[in-house]
Amino acid sequence: MTPALRVDGLGKIYGPGTTADVAGTGPGFNRVVSPTSGGIVAAWDVSFEVGPGEALGVIGESGSGKSTVMRCICGDEEPTTGSIRLASVDGGGTDLRTLSPARRRALRVDRLAVVYQDPAEGLDLRLSAGGNVAERLTAAGWRNFGRIRERASELMLRTDVPLDRMDDPVREFSGGMRQRVQLAKALANNPPVVLLDEPTTGLDASVAASVLDLIRDLLEELGVAAVVVSHDFAVIEMLTQRVVVMHHGRIVEAGLTDQLLEDPQHPYSQRLVGAARG
Amino acid sequence: MAEHRTVKLEVQGLHKSFVLHAVDGRRINALNGIDLAIHTGEHVALVGSSGAGKSTLLKSVYRTYLPDSGTVTLRLAAGAAVELTGLEDRELVALRVREIGYVSQFLRSEPRRSVRDTVARAGRRRGLDHDASLDAAAEILRRLGIGENLWRSYPSLLSGGEKQRVNLASGIICPPGLLLLDEPVSALDPANRESVLALIAELTSWGTTVLAVFHDLDAIERLADRVVLLSGGTVAESGHPTDVLRTLTNPLGAIA
Repeated sequence: MTPALRVDGLGKIYGPGTTADVAGTGPGFNRVVSPTSGGIVAAWDVSFEVGPGEALGVIGESGSGKSTVMRCICGDEEPTTGSIRLASVDGGGTDLRTLSPARRRALRVDRLAVVYQDPAEGLDLRLSAGGNVAERLTAAGWRNFGRIRERASELMLRTDVPLDRMDDPVREFSGGMRQRVQLAKALANNPPVVLLDEPTTGLDASVAASVLDLIRDLLEELGVAAVVVSHDFAVIEMLTQRVVVMHHGRIVEAGLTDQLLEDPQHPYSQRLVGAARG
Repeated sequence: MAEHRTVKLEVQGLHKSFVLHAVDGRRINALNGIDLAIHTGEHVALVGSSGAGKSTLLKSVYRTYLPDSGTVTLRLAAGAAVELTGLEDRELVALRVREIGYVSQFLRSEPRRSVRDTVARAGRRRGLDHDASLDAAAEILRRLGIGENLWRSYPSLLSGGEKQRVNLASGIICPPGLLLLDEPVSALDPANRESVLALIAELTSWGTTVLAVFHDLDAIERLADRVVLLSGGTVAESGHPTDVLRTLTNPLGAIA
């Protein structure tokens, strides 16, 4: 089966470093900053696949490189090395890094959607909820106003955004509601791959729980391939079947989510699970 | 019953240890070379003292625990045999949907999802459509004595015994070919225990292969075709339930 998303040997170095500076960084050295050049090896040698209907978790502490990986996949950052392939683009035959920036950006419309921790990154807060969704639909070629409105309403209903708020500017919405609108927008054109970066972090506990429930239901129903980046085991356990653990920019362990929680292999994973579970 | 039944699950030379990196890298050996073959439709009960490796074996088969060495070979419904310890994670996730089920003694209900929805969703994950999943959930919940008045409540509000039955209902709503049961009746009162045991017996009669840990001898004598005694992480004895249970000098002490 062709994976919906395949990431191979992804690496990202910030600052003056070159690939030569990868030596001396990573979990074995307990540092991401190159001892020779000062370059920051934020992620290195990151590879994984996600199939349709499957959710892969990426877990690690702040600074482990998990968000860098997500940003490199969706094109917010340009990776230093590695390849990213989508089954929906040339059957997985094309590395997305070889595409023009415009073409790359266009993938966000209907191939590879992103849900950010901060709704302001995924939404135009000045626009209405409906307007945000409409923007995504028109980008995909929807022209009929009535049908756009109909589809937007359908998505609002599905993400539990009250229809009578559809025409209000998103900046007037609460954090939880903004996150629901962001989900509606991300899913507007049925993308086969969705990346979620700490989608419930920063929300009140009860709001986070209901957004988490919504994401769980959507992932189950839509059969998308999802990558869920989180530092929170409760989120990873609820949403994903498989997980990779990142530490100092490297994947230190990959496995089934229940296996990672009950039988973590790597010393760092054991520490992480131990800290979360007490 | 056919004389030449196929082997559903074959465990060979299975070793499992836990390395505690936080405790000086200490290694704890849990399974020390398990050999075990189970036929299609057979119900095998694991017995042994606490720490003998019963739950570890179930979890190592399901791959919640990652075995150190040895093989676990499962014959799929379609007939092909698959070795599980070395299987790609993605493929194992897929196998867990249809081929292998695991029901734990620990009550792991999903938060904020009603009882009926919890069970129905388990059915949908295994390929039932929406309406069929709700019907199947209703039927199995009734069979297990979970009344309609509880279907809309959240599992977290239920009693231990009710949660345990919701867990079991989710695990067998679409019976997998191989069912791993880890003390599924530990929290049940006699009447509900009875309905659960009857249902497990029925699954076996339909061809589901069961590998189970029960702490009560009566359940084992009623359900098991064979009893396997584990000791120190190896198979010490395997045979007819009454024979194996009798050889235990102090059965209650050894099994509890």
